[in-house]
Amino acid sequence: MNVYLQIIKGTIDEYATYRLSFILWRVRLVVQLLVVYFMWWALFSGHNNLFGYSQGAMLTYVLFSSFVRPFVMGTRTQEVAEYIRSGSLSNYLVRPMNFLGFCASRDVADKLLNVLFAVFEIVVLYFLLRPQLFIQTDIVMILFFFAALVMGMILFFYFSLLISYMGFWTPDVWAPRFLSFVFAEFFTGALFPLDILSGPLYLIAKSLPFFYFIYFPLKVYLGQLTPIEILQGFSIGFVWTAGLWWLAVIVWNRGLRAYTAEGK
Amino acid sequence: MKRLNLYIRIWWKLTVSSFMISLTSRFNAGVFFVGKLLRFLFFLLFLITIFTRTETLAGYSSHQMIFFYLSFSLVDTIAQLFFREVYRFRPLIVSGDFDFALVKPMSPLLRALVGGADPLDLGMLPLYIAAVIYTGGRLGDIHGVNVVFYILLFINGLIISTGFHILVLALGILATEVDHAIMIFRDVVSMGRIPTDVYHEPLRSIMTFVIPVGVMMTFPAKALMGLLSPWMTLFSIALGLLFLLLCLKVWHYALTQYSSASS
Repeated sequence: MNVYLQIIKGTIDEYATYRLSFILWRVRLVVQLLVVYFMWWALFSGHNNLFGYSQGAMLTYVLFSSFVRPFVMGTRTQEVAEYIRSGSLSNYLVRPMNFLGFCASRDVADKLLNVLFAVFEIVVLYFLLRPQLFIQTDIVMILFFFAALVMGMILFFYFSLLISYMGFWTPDVWAPRFLSFVFAEFFTGALFPLDILSGPLYLIAKSLPFFYFIYFPLKVYLGQLTPIEILQGFSIGFVWTAGLWWLAVIVWNRGLRAYTAEGK
Repeated sequence: MKRLNLYIRIWWKLTVSSFMISLTSRFNAGVFFVGKLLRFLFFLLFLITIFTRTETLAGYSSHQMIFFYLSFSLVDTIAQLFFREVYRFRPLIVSGDFDFALVKPMSPLLRALVGGADPLDLGMLPLYIAAVIYTGGRLGDIHGVNVVFYILLFINGLIISTGFHILVLALGILATEVDHAIMIFRDVVSMGRIPTDVYHEPLRSIMTFVIPVGVMMTFPAKALMGLLSPWMTLFSIALGLLFLLLCLKVWHYALTQYSSASS
């Protein structure tokens, strides 16, 4: 356990070393948030209600997505592809630790820092912009919200890991990752709540794992899902998580057989 | 003139090399192309979805909104096509390899700015041009002078974009940071996917006069629709040129601070 704590500490120290890079990364996320926030604020001009959302609910959705995003999608697993490509994966395989535990520890450090900053930024933005926010007071819904966050986090971890594992067979992993970003930008609900989409498109979105990254936890938080929809969401999300975990184990084992430690 | 010819020849050689490198992996190129196409289509879909519930937005019809987005995509894609090398500038600075660009008898800015065009953006260009012409032709009564103003302001948008990319390069030299800076620029510019008039004040004014995203992305389309006065057109062009001059000054200052670290 102490090993993984040291990895978390080391990763945080790494961020502290490249402070400007981290600060600009946070600036970028705030800019991204403001772009979406201002766009929705403008779209609500002259409307009290759009797509079944009040202005307060929509701005809460947008603002809180900046908390959910780093919690679920903050990751360092994209580095795994580079470890494989450069052959430096061998350095980690010979160490007396679990490689997945190493990746998870790096992710925990990333999430810790990013969530901490995100909370601070949301508070600052709240006092600057003074939006009408929806505060969930139902403790059960808050618990479900955190459960949805954890499920999304594990799901995303395996999803991102699987893309990196492609590095066992091809050095060109950046292109599929870029494609996953494009899909994620649209289908996670980072730009808009997915239920504003037309019926068939919403059904497609619902059938993808991206649905559980941002949209599902935020809808739970907003209390806009019925108990049946929540149960259904957790069930499908669990199937996705188990499926991707199973796939990741198979791909990792096969990948190790194909791994040649090229470059080392 | 002789110098210009030389630079065009150098740019051509760099571009051909860059295209060959990019197309080495057909799989990669294909996936990137599909990704770019999908990104464009997804936002278009989002705009269409918005207009299923509202007739107009800030006085603009859905048709006009789509034209704003297409015009944005065209400026953005041309900028990415020419200035892709900016995204690869940081390793040159960190490794000290930028020395090789400095010792050559040519402008280091040319090498850093346009030294590696992106063929994938070139592939997207015919689609955007056709869509802009088709949608622009359906906007209603458009006068020839509006088309001229559109083209002028479109070029002005590219000049402003050039300025922004030069600023990112300068920051790369001063602080060895490019990757996030270029993405912040792109995120800010993405606000121009919808007309800046839609945003509330003071953001609208900031996006026109401080960070000229409005001048870059919204004004060309407004000029085509006849919604921009000749004075505003002139002001925009003056602002664009002034901005470029300012960015060049910052670049020259940054060059004096280059430390050639690691070389």
